[in-house]
Amino acid sequence: MKIIDTIYLKKTYRLGRIEVNALNGVTTSADEGEFVAIMGPSGSGKSTFLNLVGMLDIPSSGEIYLNGTDTIKMDERTRTEYRLKNIGFVFQFFNLFMELTAVENVMFPMMLSGHPFHRERAEELLEIVGLNKRSNHLPSELSGGEQQRVAIARALSNKPKLLLTDEPTANLDTKITREIMELFRTLNHDQHQTIIMVTHNPELGEMADRIIHFRDGKVEG
Amino acid sequence: MKFSELKAAFFYARKDIIKDKKVFFFITAAIIFATANIIVVNGFMGGIADDLIDNSIETSVGHLNVYPRDDDRFIEGIGFKEQKLASMKDLVAFSSRLYAGGTLSLRDITTTVNIIAVDVENERKITKLLEKLDTGSTLEPNDRDILISYRLAEDMKADVGDHVTLVFENGDSKLYKIKGIIHTGIYELDVDTIFISKTELNQHLGFGDKASIILVKLTDKDMAEAKKQVFIDELGVSKVKTWVEEIEHIVKSMGAWSEFSNMVISVGLIASAISVGVIIFINVVHKRRQIGIMKAIGASNSFVFIVFIIEAGLFAILGVAGGDFLGYYATKYFETHPFWEPITRTWFRARFYPYLLYNASIVSFGITIIAGIYPALKARKTNIIKAIWG
Repeated sequence: MKIIDTIYLKKTYRLGRIEVNALNGVTTSADEGEFVAIMGPSGSGKSTFLNLVGMLDIPSSGEIYLNGTDTIKMDERTRTEYRLKNIGFVFQFFNLFMELTAVENVMFPMMLSGHPFHRERAEELLEIVGLNKRSNHLPSELSGGEQQRVAIARALSNKPKLLLTDEPTANLDTKITREIMELFRTLNHDQHQTIIMVTHNPELGEMADRIIHFRDGKVEG
Repeated sequence: MKFSELKAAFFYARKDIIKDKKVFFFITAAIIFATANIIVVNGFMGGIADDLIDNSIETSVGHLNVYPRDDDRFIEGIGFKEQKLASMKDLVAFSSRLYAGGTLSLRDITTTVNIIAVDVENERKITKLLEKLDTGSTLEPNDRDILISYRLAEDMKADVGDHVTLVFENGDSKLYKIKGIIHTGIYELDVDTIFISKTELNQHLGFGDKASIILVKLTDKDMAEAKKQVFIDELGVSKVKTWVEEIEHIVKSMGAWSEFSNMVISVGLIASAISVGVIIFINVVHKRRQIGIMKAIGASNSFVFIVFIIEAGLFAILGVAGGDFLGYYATKYFETHPFWEPITRTWFRARFYPYLLYNASIVSFGITIIAGIYPALKARKTNIIKAIWG
């Protein structure tokens, strides 16, 4: 079953008087349980595509279906609710809430959605990412790799259908990068988590089930 | 907004405000002092006003005060009117006074004076005028001595026991011993007044069955307005003033001072509100990326708005509670430790009233919440894409 289906997706930004076509008619899809890498040079539209699929931004034209639902027609409130319950994000710069401990960061989306056992579930998730002993530490007390693991646990907290990651290992060293990628593979294999990962790194792309190449705002090939 | 969101907003706001302890202390202290300032300043204004009013009532006016007609100098037929008053309800006491003029001489100093002649026994039932002594002793019913106001005593370098010559307005004169020096705290009485018994004045001026004013004390001073017309009808007089009308100038003057103090308080409050607003605003600016992430993972615009309003609310609760505590104890302290004001020679005393706490709490809380609205709106409008990727 297709979890992502985009039809002739376009996104145009205006920079002063200049119009920039970030996406120029992208038609692609991803199946449930797939681990897809999106690769391409800088400015090819990878992150823009991820933002549109993640409902963080609205396309200039085209259609996006997530799990068969037309997301373009949703109002702001419904989009926010859908994002909370169906999509997990892992960003390049970890982006944890600095005033919350690791476990509180993971709890937070579950508190928003009204999950009754948010602390227990957060502890479980931290155990899955191997950080159960560091759960009461603030982000400033964690290494980069540990922070990214917390971010992954947080992204998984509401059992999202879709995990979107944008250069998740760009700021990590080789050893930690490998550990994070192993974690993604485990989540994909063991829990059938659909993962869409934007990356520059061909080695990381090879670890995905499939690679979609972007160039000049279009899917290549 | 769902209850779960509200709980999450409270959770995050609580964590956020105590993250930086110095900032937390600074904001809370600003609200504490602004709130306490409202209570203490208003406590002083209320205390001074009430002292002035109480002092004026107990010194110089009755609850109801009967005057001559506008064109007359005296109220005529006092004997008849006093009989009427004695039979009226809700009345504790009454006393008449005579006002006259004269000159007073001591050694080589001579000055014009106002003479207030009182019915000593009845005056004591209505006012404390004769008890307001700096030195010496007060008049007794059959006294032939006089009391003089403290400023007059200073000007004439007179003291208790000195003998002064009083020349009445009809030219009669007599040597009197100063028995006491009076200090009422009311300017008009303290400047150039001598106090004498009515009997003594009548011996020289022969005013007899007349009075310049009749002071009446009621069982409850709040009945004065309702009783005013009854007195006019029963006594056949045209001019009766309530105690409120008598001290209207003081009430108005205190109103002007109150407005001035409110302006001072407003400046303090605005300064506190600006500091709270600026700090929350800086927090919002610094947290732009985090707010973007918060919205990206599923926090609604209203959630983000509420987080920062709750932060302002938490600061307000802590600040107002601390301010109420400090304000209460400071006002209580100044109730028992008043300032001596040497020009008017009166004590400036604060007084605590429960409404001071309610007013200060409502105003301070409201202002702090308002201060949080702009930063909260700014946070609400954060664009996710720009916040996360710059």
